[in-house]
Amino acid sequence: MTHLRAPGEESGTPVTTAGVAVGGHRRWRPPGGRGELVERLFAVQSLFALLVVFVLAIAVSPRRDGEILFLSTENLGNIVRAVSEIGIIAVGMTFVVLLGGIDLSVGAILGLSAVGTATLMVDSGFGILPAVAVVLLIGALFGAVQGYATARLGIQSFIVTLAGLQVARGLARIWSGGLGIPIAYGDGPQEAPPAFEFLNGSINGVVPVPAVLFVGIGVAAIVVLRKTAFARHVYAIGGNEKAARLSGVPVLRVKVAVFAIAGLLAAVAGIIHAGQLNQGSPNDGAGYELDAIAAVVIGGTSLAGGTGSMGGTLAGALLLGILNNILALNNIDANVQLLIKGLVIVAAAGLQKLRRSIV
Amino acid sequence: MRTRTVLLALLCTGALVTSTACSVQKPSEGGDATANCGAGRDFLIGMSQANNAEPYRQVMNNDVRTAAKSVPGLTVVVADAAQDNSKQVADVENFLTQKIDLLIISPNEAKPLTAVVQKAYDRGTPVIVLDRKVEGEAYTAFIGGDNVAIGRAAGEFYANTLLPDGGKVLEITGLPGSTPAAERAQGFREGIAANPKVDVVASQPGDWLREKGQSVADALLKAHPDAAAVYAHNDPMAEGAYLAAKAAGLHTKVKFTGIDALPVPSGGIKAVEQGRLAATFQYATGGREAVDLARRILVDCARDVPRTTTLDTMRITRENATEAYARLGGGA
Amino acid sequence: MSDQVLVAMSGIAKRFGGVHALRGVDLTLRAGEVHALLGENGAGKSTLINILSGVVTDHDGQISVGGEPVRFAGPAAAQAAGIATIHQELDLVPALSVAENLVLGREPRTRLRTLDRRAMTRAARDWLGSLGAEIDPRRPVGSLRVGEQQLVEIAKALSLDARVLVMDEPTAALADAEVRRLMSTIHALRGRGVAVVYISHRLEEIEHIADRATVLRNGEVAGTLRPDRADRQRIITLMVGRPAESLFGAGSGGVGAPSPPGPAVLEVDDLAVRPRVTRPGRCEPAGVSLTVRAGEIVGLAGLMGAGRTELLETLYGAGPPGRHTGLLRLAGRPYAPRGPRRALRAGVGFVPEDRRRSALVLEHPVGRSIVLAALRRFTTAGVVRGGRERDAVRQQIAALAIRTSSTTAPVGALSGGNQQKVVFARHLLTRPRLLLLDEPTRGVDVGAKAEIYRLLRRLADDGMGILLASSELPELTGVCDRIVVLRRGRAVAELPADGCTGEDILTAAMGGASAGGVDR
Repeated sequence: MTHLRAPGEESGTPVTTAGVAVGGHRRWRPPGGRGELVERLFAVQSLFALLVVFVLAIAVSPRRDGEILFLSTENLGNIVRAVSEIGIIAVGMTFVVLLGGIDLSVGAILGLSAVGTATLMVDSGFGILPAVAVVLLIGALFGAVQGYATARLGIQSFIVTLAGLQVARGLARIWSGGLGIPIAYGDGPQEAPPAFEFLNGSINGVVPVPAVLFVGIGVAAIVVLRKTAFARHVYAIGGNEKAARLSGVPVLRVKVAVFAIAGLLAAVAGIIHAGQLNQGSPNDGAGYELDAIAAVVIGGTSLAGGTGSMGGTLAGALLLGILNNILALNNIDANVQLLIKGLVIVAAAGLQKLRRSIV
Repeated sequence: MRTRTVLLALLCTGALVTSTACSVQKPSEGGDATANCGAGRDFLIGMSQANNAEPYRQVMNNDVRTAAKSVPGLTVVVADAAQDNSKQVADVENFLTQKIDLLIISPNEAKPLTAVVQKAYDRGTPVIVLDRKVEGEAYTAFIGGDNVAIGRAAGEFYANTLLPDGGKVLEITGLPGSTPAAERAQGFREGIAANPKVDVVASQPGDWLREKGQSVADALLKAHPDAAAVYAHNDPMAEGAYLAAKAAGLHTKVKFTGIDALPVPSGGIKAVEQGRLAATFQYATGGREAVDLARRILVDCARDVPRTTTLDTMRITRENATEAYARLGGGA
Repeated sequence: MSDQVLVAMSGIAKRFGGVHALRGVDLTLRAGEVHALLGENGAGKSTLINILSGVVTDHDGQISVGGEPVRFAGPAAAQAAGIATIHQELDLVPALSVAENLVLGREPRTRLRTLDRRAMTRAARDWLGSLGAEIDPRRPVGSLRVGEQQLVEIAKALSLDARVLVMDEPTAALADAEVRRLMSTIHALRGRGVAVVYISHRLEEIEHIADRATVLRNGEVAGTLRPDRADRQRIITLMVGRPAESLFGAGSGGVGAPSPPGPAVLEVDDLAVRPRVTRPGRCEPAGVSLTVRAGEIVGLAGLMGAGRTELLETLYGAGPPGRHTGLLRLAGRPYAPRGPRRALRAGVGFVPEDRRRSALVLEHPVGRSIVLAALRRFTTAGVVRGGRERDAVRQQIAALAIRTSSTTAPVGALSGGNQQKVVFARHLLTRPRLLLLDEPTRGVDVGAKAEIYRLLRRLADDGMGILLASSELPELTGVCDRIVVLRRGRAVAELPADGCTGEDILTAAMGGASAGGVDR
């Protein structure tokens, strides 16, 4: 590649001594050029899709006595609550995917955390805060170890977290003895503090607590992703790891942190899971990682890493929730529901492809 | 540009949440079940199934659907939770949004579904729980089989009919830790107690799976080639055991029994009819009984339906297999 | 060598867009001759070879093979005509065995239509043996050394009845012993009447093996001659040609008067690296000494594979892990490059050779790309302070005259020159005292090039030390104050830019007679 170059063969163009730029700028576009316009459209694409699905849902919603069932207070609350665990996991997954990785272990970490929450409170007599703290720590540590393995040993995160999935499920089965640990509330032994039931409740009896947590975490993640140096590093590594390294980005540290965040948020989801179902079962969260990835993809984040947004992921998660809900309200056959969800994911991915070919 | 995007995002999520908070609260449905009843009206029944992928639950769904067809005014919608507790909770909630008139639920697990079943019950929706129970008292009726009784029936069949002169029995159990497996084992031992010459010499888990039953039986038959019979906790494992014996050339010598007796081509009744199994014991789905109860609650406005219905088992042998298959709706 | 002409190319011309890659080139290949093809990057060697091997088909001029005019429809047609090409990246399947590679696509079968492994191995052994190569045909190709793989490729070409063998830089990745082996193989081929087209920068090899040499310059034949040691200077002169007008203002000593050099920013004394894992094609520093002073631009010259990039990466801490020997001092203090992050903090910036692969993400916005390496300066408690960041970005865009529609436009929307300026801006924001540049004007248009040169001079005048690796001779002679020449990982000469010509550099880089430089 690097041959010596003799003078005077600069693309046949007469060489000027003046410092003025001659020609060039083949790819420069005037302000608001096509590339940027398309970028702009796609930035709101997932929100637009969410809006479309929302309106469609209203249109096809079953009615009873003139009331649009889909729009009922309770139903909207149910939607956000039902999607909150997937949504929280998807927030962590977004960081990982932006980094150019994938985390298959989050569903299993959710199960492990649900089991941990139940066991610690019911069998080990932990209070709520100590139990939650221990579970969050386990989740974050588990993620951090995976991050370290993929960053330091250079193993693809797909493989590391595939192994992590097995390990987390195994730990959950061992910890629980293979059975679900029911959570009974009360002050006695083998009972959890009743205050933990607040996860199953709602604020003002209307907004479910998990939904509030989901939205809160989502908004916090949006801020982190927009405002922090950490987020810039994530984008840089996901876009071009070598370039990031050469620009002084602490690649190892960022990767460990990102997987730790994914593990931590999976643990949060696991605690919520245990609180909602009053049980921690080692099989909880099976396949949730795939739903989370779907939310991320529908949200417009590229699996290649480096481009995407948290707002898109939140929109993607809510879109999936609305889709699930409206299909169920219309009593669409469970198998057909799967087909429709698959088509939506492919459509989202297709839009991404389209974006890249236009810009 | 990015700021606007995020603002929009916040607005949308915000709108979703606040519209939840702000929209008008519907007056509570309240009232008791009997207020919404009577002949000549249309009723919507929500059937929340734990997992459609199991043949037993498929048959249960079919039984419910078939039975509902014969009652004018009843419409049944089925939701499949695919073994996911959270999904089943959402399914029930969606049924409530649809304002179903009655809920039939076959819960995936007891504890996680107790709260949502209670929610439905508290709103005045009659709830019929099928097969597996939920905790507490917040349901209208429970219909289920008695696994101890089924095991006992099987044991008595061994003691009196299959092995009156005694013999060695190999047991292939269901998933360790599951209640039906424990009860079917316990009942069987009660049943064979009458004949001390019947002896369970080995017991290994087959996890309800045909292929697992086959590999377990393969090993057991090697260790006990003189075994007289294999008692499997369900029909697929019994079929698997039969295949293992056939491979070892023991299938004519050893007798096999299963449990479930599903009226489907791949089910135990056919296996008995075709001579692979000596007997199987019906574990009824309760689908018909559930619809019958629903009819009484909705159409007849009955208030005093039985709180617990325990389904009888039926012994199916070569003699009654064909007839039972037809009666239970096989081939329909 | 006989007089039988195997291939005659005449009046070959090819344009890429408005650029003439080749203009009226004639080339004849005779049976049993080794014909060297010389010329600088962009002189047209690759295009000529691509036409000969059927890769480029839409060209002007005639080709005749064995007297018959031909028109290749593609590489397969050229191969069928007996012209085989051995590229630098060998076309072998590493996981398959030598024998399997040799018969790939025409495997011998037994009567049962199964693979006839015995026949395969026998044939492979015959072909390799005829080259005097002792390679076990059952070994996987991936386990062979590069030189052995080349022999396999040559054997494969011969097994396909190749009469003309084109070899593109065959010795670039070879050790000395392997080079000798290859030379004797080529000798044997000549005896069989095969014509070999041999492309190399190593004049000693060409003198040793070639019967004739054709020198290309600017897409034209600058001359054809019998290479001989006495002719070395003539070849170099033919390759370089007359110097063109300078990009760098009047005089060859850089733009404006050079400021007096300040204290040493970087002192390198006998730096050598033994990497833990040797990667093929890399040439780690093996004895480099040089000094870069504040206010000075030092050029780094050398042929392909001489170790320029590797030296810069080592200084930046971005090379492969391994044992370093020698002394490094940065601004008078001992300096151990242990990674880009530390290097940046120590005040070292690095603009890598391939900006798309090593510096930029084309989808990312300009502003964020500029600020990446210096993010720490605009961050409080982990939060980037937007106002200060924007100010810094705007200031850099203005200072470097980066032409972009906005700070949020994707980098990919910029021209090559402006992309390169973004990378410059990124490193200038970290306020380095030493700037390492690897081919900073590659793929940059002329205007931006001149701007970059003036920027470099301004930075040097402000007291920065700059080490500039380049393969463009005028860039070295025009921009730098001094030029250090590398050959095979060693610094072999240091030339003052004043009065130094491209020929001097080439001579030192190729290992020829020293011309006015200081030999080490």
